[in-house]
Amino acid sequence: MHYVDEGSGDPVVLLHGNPTWGFLYREVIPPLVQAGYRVIVPDMIGFGLSEKPTREHAHTLDGHSANLVSLVRQLDLDRVTLVCHDWGGPTGLSCALSNLDRMRALVIMSTWAWPTPPAEFHTRIFPWRTMHAPLVGPYLLGNHSALAGRGIYLSVVEREKFRQRAQAAYEAVLPDPASRLLTWAWPRWIPLDDQARAYERFVWLEQELSRCKLPSIIIWGREDEVFDAQTFAARFKRMLPHAEGPHLVTGRHFLQEDSGPEIAALVVDFLRRLSGRGE
Amino acid sequence: MSASVAVVDAPNLAGKRRAFALAEDRVGHYPEFRDFFERTFDLKRVGLARPGYVAAPSGRTYELVFLGRSGEPFPSGIEIYAIVDALEPLDDAVLDRDLWAILRWMIAGVGAPWTVEDLDATGRLYRIPATQSPLLP
Repeated sequence: MHYVDEGSGDPVVLLHGNPTWGFLYREVIPPLVQAGYRVIVPDMIGFGLSEKPTREHAHTLDGHSANLVSLVRQLDLDRVTLVCHDWGGPTGLSCALSNLDRMRALVIMSTWAWPTPPAEFHTRIFPWRTMHAPLVGPYLLGNHSALAGRGIYLSVVEREKFRQRAQAAYEAVLPDPASRLLTWAWPRWIPLDDQARAYERFVWLEQELSRCKLPSIIIWGREDEVFDAQTFAARFKRMLPHAEGPHLVTGRHFLQEDSGPEIAALVVDFLRRLSGRGE
Repeated sequence: MSASVAVVDAPNLAGKRRAFALAEDRVGHYPEFRDFFERTFDLKRVGLARPGYVAAPSGRTYELVFLGRSGEPFPSGIEIYAIVDALEPLDDAVLDRDLWAILRWMIAGVGAPWTVEDLDATGRLYRIPATQSPLLP
């Protein structure tokens, strides 16, 4: 697993999802380091500069969560603030909730943590289920890199700026069809009914998160139309009534692309308030 | 050249090679897709005994190799190979259009709620070159 490790102080671990990598946090890392935190940004196995297994059965939700547990334990991290986005949510929150003694706080952004199905969008044949259907997934997302090549672009606000400054970095780390396997494997892990592979894990996640007392902050993209704030951020707020927010920033699903510095400022302020209260 | 895909008999492979085209590890992710291949190629009877073959719009034949996996219904996976002249390179543009045609044939065969119109719309959303083909509606 490749990871960035910058700065010193209490660790802040920044988790990305599908189909991104640590590059997503390029505008979040420097302000956090400057504010006195050790910032760790792993590339999920299968993405970025990390190893990329080429068989679909190499990827499981629990396996990816265990990869994060391994990272936290190998670096012997304590007082961790975990920043979760997209699949960094289910994997990161599984890691956090099974290692509460090492955690300090949670930052939750454009993700979900409950079973069946996360959004109405995920039940639709067009485009969601068609995109990752048998053989269609390997063709569209593998041969044609549909998520890194077009999907992120469609899910940012400032598209032209993204195209000029960032898109090539997402495409470059997924250079061939085999390297893109996780881009169609992850959508298949979203439970659509109670027979789905990850159903029980999401039931557990919802139960454990609802009992969790870790200081938390919810940050969401105002323009996010897939994980819309009204539905998703509000549901996290009901699960974690003590959480700060939701704070809305400019952004669709990949809100870090449009509001990196604003997100960093919100996290720094949140952590400073925790320190002020002795937490 | 036609837009249709048809199941054909095994071709004569003398002087030919199998060129890898596409692989799927979880053809039963949506079970109706596995059912389609089982039905179309009589796989309950044939099992692993032989691959299936289809002719694509370019006139080229494609071999469908069905994979079994312990603990899962058969087939669990599929590999698609283009049957091409042994020492000739593969034309990627032709391959891409043929694969798209095979996907459209598959979706039509799987049936509702899956539709070719939704597949085409998905392809256009992601700007797949084959969706610009004059062979498509």
